Amino acid sequence: MTKEPESIPGGAVRAAPPALPRAQPSAPPPRRSPGRRLFALRGDIPTWLHVVLGLACIALIFLAWFLATVGEPEFRMVSPTVLPSPAETFSSFQELWFDRALTRNLIVTLRRVVLGFALACAVGIPLGILSGCFALAQGLLFPLTIFGRNIPLAALIPLTFTAFGIGEWQKVMFIFIACVMFIVSDTATAIRDVDQRYVDTAWTLGAKRRQIITKVLVPLAMPAVFNSLRLLFGLAFGYIMLAELVKLGGEVGGLGDIIRQSQRRGYIEHIWLVLLIIPFIALAIDRTLKAIQKSLFPYQYGGHGLLHRALRVVGHAWEDLKGVFFSREVATTQAGPGEEDA
Amino acid sequence: MSDPVPQDAVPQDDGPQDAVPQDAVLQDALPQDVGVGTVLDHVREPEEIPSAGIVSFRNVRKTYNVGEANAFTAIDEVNFVVEDIEGKGEFVSILGPSGCGKSTVLRLIAGLEPQHPPTVGEVRVMGRTVERPGADRGMVFQDYTSFDHRTVLDNVAFGLECRGVPREEREESARHWIGRVGLSVENDQLKYPHELSGGMRQRVAIARTLILRPRIILMDEPFGALDPTTRLNMQDLLVDLWREVEATVFFVTHSIGEAVYLGDRVYLMSNSPGTILEELEVEPPNRPALEMQREVPFQETVFYIRDKIATLEEER
Repeated sequence: MTKEPESIPGGAVRAAPPALPRAQPSAPPPRRSPGRRLFALRGDIPTWLHVVLGLACIALIFLAWFLATVGEPEFRMVSPTVLPSPAETFSSFQELWFDRALTRNLIVTLRRVVLGFALACAVGIPLGILSGCFALAQGLLFPLTIFGRNIPLAALIPLTFTAFGIGEWQKVMFIFIACVMFIVSDTATAIRDVDQRYVDTAWTLGAKRRQIITKVLVPLAMPAVFNSLRLLFGLAFGYIMLAELVKLGGEVGGLGDIIRQSQRRGYIEHIWLVLLIIPFIALAIDRTLKAIQKSLFPYQYGGHGLLHRALRVVGHAWEDLKGVFFSREVATTQAGPGEEDA
Repeated sequence: MSDPVPQDAVPQDDGPQDAVPQDAVLQDALPQDVGVGTVLDHVREPEEIPSAGIVSFRNVRKTYNVGEANAFTAIDEVNFVVEDIEGKGEFVSILGPSGCGKSTVLRLIAGLEPQHPPTVGEVRVMGRTVERPGADRGMVFQDYTSFDHRTVLDNVAFGLECRGVPREEREESARHWIGRVGLSVENDQLKYPHELSGGMRQRVAIARTLILRPRIILMDEPFGALDPTTRLNMQDLLVDLWREVEATVFFVTHSIGEAVYLGDRVYLMSNSPGTILEELEVEPPNRPALEMQREVPFQETVFYIRDKIATLEEER
């Protein structure tokens, strides 16, 4: 009885708020209409439908392309100097392949990206590891990272000609400059993101600072590093086109050069063909890198991890061989930590 | 600034300090038997035992962000000593209300930053001040800390690898320990941590620590993330292994039953900033976990501590 009306110090009685209607289970829909399933929020659709939709998209684009370029050149909706008809474009493929040496130029382009990117990795990954492990290195490299990541790269092309000449070296170095600071800062971030508990564990297992870097931080950061390298490689592939489109005399070669020459000589079909081919190449490269990634880091992406297991075997073989050649050194390092522990 | 205060206070209060415990002793501070345990009349301090002790804390305080607005004192005036019992080692459980600095105590023994070094006072292991982490103080964490990129075998062998032990030798030893913690050498040694259950991962973590035969093992809620059945199995496993390695174990847990079952000695900590309130000596775990934890005297000890902690939690 005393509890019923809740009295407030002022003397007023607080009335219970009117009861809101109780939540009812929503009535089940009479039948699940296919539309509901297809438009499920963040849902899935069957694979066949996925393929059909993709093909439909391509078909629509081709239809639009065909309609825009149908008829005699003078009466088309879009002038053939901008967009040739599908038939004109695809019939020029043979010429592109043989006379313009598509494969050779593709290889030239790929070699430049791979060289420049490999160089950027060789410099960037160690610097990134240093910068991730030691705040001193990070502080020292910080201004470089800011510049490297924020300078508009296209504006650097004139300077690269002055610095590295007009040959291959200029293109390779352009890719190097474009990528290196991204690699440094992504690697550093990956190292910093390794959970402290792994480092603590390694300390309590008697690891030394150098061993924590080589056996814990670097291997645990590698999946993230590789992932960012894969994305950056796609970026580098875009930058090489930029470098190849600019010519200061000499033989340039490469896919970008095909585009540039085609534009000057009026082979618009070839430009369109190269533009169609580039995404396929980029996709193929990305898929390959993804497969490597999966094979290298099975503990991250599942699968058999053949490359990872192969590396483990190589690592063991290397260690065993080292033991044969430098057996004395191993023995001395074994005695070391025992004294340090006490 | 705050340094001299406690140091001045101790000698000055010598006289009254003698008097206050006298009163308290008459009340309830006599060594008191509670179920399977005995509550000591006071927490033993480093000066009270002849030897240096395996681990000793003297007036330890840890304050984070000293001098800043968000300064926080995790533990204060922590004094205790654990004896070095030759060829056996004690099992010490640490209990207390949440956030009382139990993990801080463990990490100070381990020498791990940022808990190490203490703001005030001294942490000694085997008579020497702790300066850095080392393999003589192995630690098992609550979070799974198996190295993801290493197989079970390579995880267990990690410490020996760091020590420079040749591969054949360390892998043989690792296989022995994989078997000892109840994993299957044949099936599990080449698995990666992501293929293991939580209980199996903690077995790997225990094997990885024990293979180094440390004098001190620090366990920070190692079974906190495991289901009750797995937990009981792990407790029994730990009792078995501990007898074999003859190490002093410090075990932080939220489970009072676990602490009383496993511990030879239980430290009960106060609210934050934590200090050690009571020291209990408890019967050793000489029967299976499920059996012993069902007995009435055991339950009596558990409820005694539970009431203490509940009171502390209310006071916060």
